[in-house]
Amino acid sequence: MKRLLAFLLSITAAFGLAACGGTGNNASSGEASSAPQSSEAPSSSAGSSEASGEVAPAASNGPLKVVTTSDAYQVLFDKFTEDTGIQVEYLSMSSGEVLSKVKAEGGAPMADLWFGGGIDAFMQAKEDGLLEQVDFDGAADLAPEYKDADNHWFSKGLTVVGFIVNNDILAEKNLELPKTWDDLINPAYKSEILMSNPAISGTNYAVVNAILQTKGEEAGWKYFEDLNANIDYYSKRGKDPSEKTVAGEIAIGITYLDKAMEKLQEEQNVTLVYPEDGIPYVPEGVAVFKGGTNADGAKEFIKWFYQDENLREIIPLDNKDTVKIVKPNLENVELSFPVESLMKEDLSLFGSQRSAILDKWNTMIGDKAETDE
Amino acid sequence: MNKRNKKWVSVVGTHFYNLLDFGILAVLLSAVAVFILYPLLCIVKNSLWIDGAFSLQEYSRLFLKNGRLLSNSLFVACLSAAGSMVLAAAVALKVHFAPKKVKGLLMGLLMMTMVSPPFVSALAYIQLFGRRGIITYRLLGLSINPYGWGGIVAMQSLSFVPLNALLLMGVLSKVDQSLIHASRDLGASPSHTLWDVILPLIRPAMLVCFLLSFIRSLSDFGTPMIIGGRFNVLAPEIYLQIIGYSNLPRASAMNMIILVPALIIFVFYRLLMRNSLFSASDGKTGEFQSVFHLKGIANLLLTILSALFYGMMLLQYGSIFVGAFTKSIRGKLHFSLEHFEQLRMYNSSTLVRSIVYALIVAMAGTIFGMLLSYYIERRRIPLRNFTDFVATLPYMLPGTCFGIGYILAFNHPPLKLTGTALIVILNMIFKQLPTTTKTTSAALSQISVTMEQAAQDLGAQKFHVIKDIVFPNLKNAFLVGFINNFTSAMTTVGAVIFLIHPGKKIAVFALFDAVNSGEYGLASLIAAFIIIITLLVNLGLSRIIMRGRR
Repeated sequence: MKRLLAFLLSITAAFGLAACGGTGNNASSGEASSAPQSSEAPSSSAGSSEASGEVAPAASNGPLKVVTTSDAYQVLFDKFTEDTGIQVEYLSMSSGEVLSKVKAEGGAPMADLWFGGGIDAFMQAKEDGLLEQVDFDGAADLAPEYKDADNHWFSKGLTVVGFIVNNDILAEKNLELPKTWDDLINPAYKSEILMSNPAISGTNYAVVNAILQTKGEEAGWKYFEDLNANIDYYSKRGKDPSEKTVAGEIAIGITYLDKAMEKLQEEQNVTLVYPEDGIPYVPEGVAVFKGGTNADGAKEFIKWFYQDENLREIIPLDNKDTVKIVKPNLENVELSFPVESLMKEDLSLFGSQRSAILDKWNTMIGDKAETDE
Repeated sequence: MNKRNKKWVSVVGTHFYNLLDFGILAVLLSAVAVFILYPLLCIVKNSLWIDGAFSLQEYSRLFLKNGRLLSNSLFVACLSAAGSMVLAAAVALKVHFAPKKVKGLLMGLLMMTMVSPPFVSALAYIQLFGRRGIITYRLLGLSINPYGWGGIVAMQSLSFVPLNALLLMGVLSKVDQSLIHASRDLGASPSHTLWDVILPLIRPAMLVCFLLSFIRSLSDFGTPMIIGGRFNVLAPEIYLQIIGYSNLPRASAMNMIILVPALIIFVFYRLLMRNSLFSASDGKTGEFQSVFHLKGIANLLLTILSALFYGMMLLQYGSIFVGAFTKSIRGKLHFSLEHFEQLRMYNSSTLVRSIVYALIVAMAGTIFGMLLSYYIERRRIPLRNFTDFVATLPYMLPGTCFGIGYILAFNHPPLKLTGTALIVILNMIFKQLPTTTKTTSAALSQISVTMEQAAQDLGAQKFHVIKDIVFPNLKNAFLVGFINNFTSAMTTVGAVIFLIHPGKKIAVFALFDAVNSGEYGLASLIAAFIIIITLLVNLGLSRIIMRGRR
């Protein structure tokens, strides 16, 4: 029996070294650069799927598999299926989860299309060589600031950031409604502000990046040090600030704003604030994964999606019309807030600065990531 | 002639059953190696091979940097484990000694609280005890801060009770009655009998409860994430490394720190278990309310503790069910069926898929766990402690990491399983394996080895000993294992989010989506559905098993 066990152990070890090694190498070489190794996988898998269904041309690769941010997009996917005959299967995940998953999959991703999520994750994915280039005619009509120069990712709208304020708590504590980012550092708001960890929340990362760019490095970091004095802890879920403000756990939450949030103003005693000194924003990405089994279907989707009639479909689903900013010549759509109220952001720095900014951020907030009971 | 024939058959039979016995063992061990050890090795490897080269960079500052997190984790895990062990013992004793009618009701409630849908419970806690909580603010006029270690310990202690209590009740029903008779006859008060006779008898099971809760607390990232506030522990930090930074090497390395306390507690557990192995159930077992009633201070204490538990649970589940049918407008609740309308966008196949997966996981996982536990506890298999430890490992890691391990291990030939239903089911089975093996161990510690020896002396094959002697005595363990496996398969998100294939969603993902889009009413409604379905399956199965015993 000892022999049996030794045998099994050695098999396991061999597996671990062989197969596991392959995975590790693939993932890490993909990380270093868009290495040839990770581009090998797609060609081989595409080859095998072609071999299995030589006759049928279009939908031979099975359904289009999508990772997205919300189940609400089903309506859009249904319309795509109706128009093109390509079946869609989707799953909702956060962009951080998607990135980790695709990295772990090491060149053989489970999904073909990535629809929605903070652009910083898409930029990282491009750098890691996980995204496929998609050239199509409609791309020329898109505002160049909101798409990748090499057509590795595009956006489908912007997430804009402001505050949600609980009026009851403000009244109870005798506080004024904050109207600007600068208002938030007033010591009167101490312990009454909640913000998500920018590492987890693309929305709150946008706040940090945009304010640093607007105010400049030095003044920007000084601002966050002051803000930090008012914030007891940073939540680990993107949804926490708005939820906890509505629940009355905290007076002010820094959160994304859209029409669904505006509806909260009717049902709950809360006020939404679009900061007067500028609205930070983050584009929401769309991209095709390198090495998926149905890359053709995914490219087809992108071409289809950026036609005006289909772009308009997303406005009710996203509860906002920021898609107009992404495609300025989109007809019959008017933006509900002036574009000028957005902060000036250089998106090209968005991805490249991310790890440096988050490192500095973590040093600054120090113990608030941990405890100091 | 006839006699000789029989002998010949029995020789062939012996070979056959020995082979079968050996085969089962081989399958068990290789499954543990392939589906637990191998993915874990992949995680270790991931933390050591960074950018294609061997590196210890993730480990060099790991313990220095995370010392605080580690001590926080240990602190919370000890308190939660102790708290839930004590509460569970109180609940189990009260239910066990309750009159028949009350017993059914208490059991039903306990079964319901087994089903704890992710996020919704923590959100209910905030609704009830937050700064504007229904209890703390509206009822008591307090405005307290519920965030911190106290909140985590309270939530974890409460939510680990149902599994622990079921486990303890299974063991209690096997306690030898004659010992209690003897104690009472010799003049001991009920309180003394409880303290000096009953509690020592269920000590191995209490230890198991402590161990399971301890490691469950270490790996739980959902509770600290929502109600930890500034107080941070390891598991959510690992989750942050994965979700916020996609830093798999660091997350993998941090998993290794979680394993250190887990390993220490495991060694202690093994030592204590060895010292408390005994056999008890040669005498009469089962219901003993005819001769024994809880009385005195002990009874008062147990009553207070279990009332506390049931009270909290009723509040928590009440608020979930209320949330399903109401809409809060400016702080006032209004009855509403709006969430039923919203429910239409979800496909019913999702729910069916969930149930099918959960049934498979529950059947296969429970039988696998029981067999493994039997071989570990009763046969002198080589490396039994090592095997036992490996089988316990998945329970110790945050679910997300075990999921990542499966992608690393099974996304490439020779074993490409990603995208299949199989990988999801396997992950669910092995993640929950320790509850079944530990529950079975606790139950086995109460079954006299002499019975098995007697059967073997009378000529029974090893296989028949398992089938006819051991398993029939493990019905309670089977029940606990099945219920736990089924329930967790219906409610986990963490481990399988990386393994579920687009288009192959399970019901809990709809819940997850509703929570993420801030649709609490809808989330509560989906949670209520999951609770009811799971509860029905669990109750149905208990009925069948309990009936079979008579």
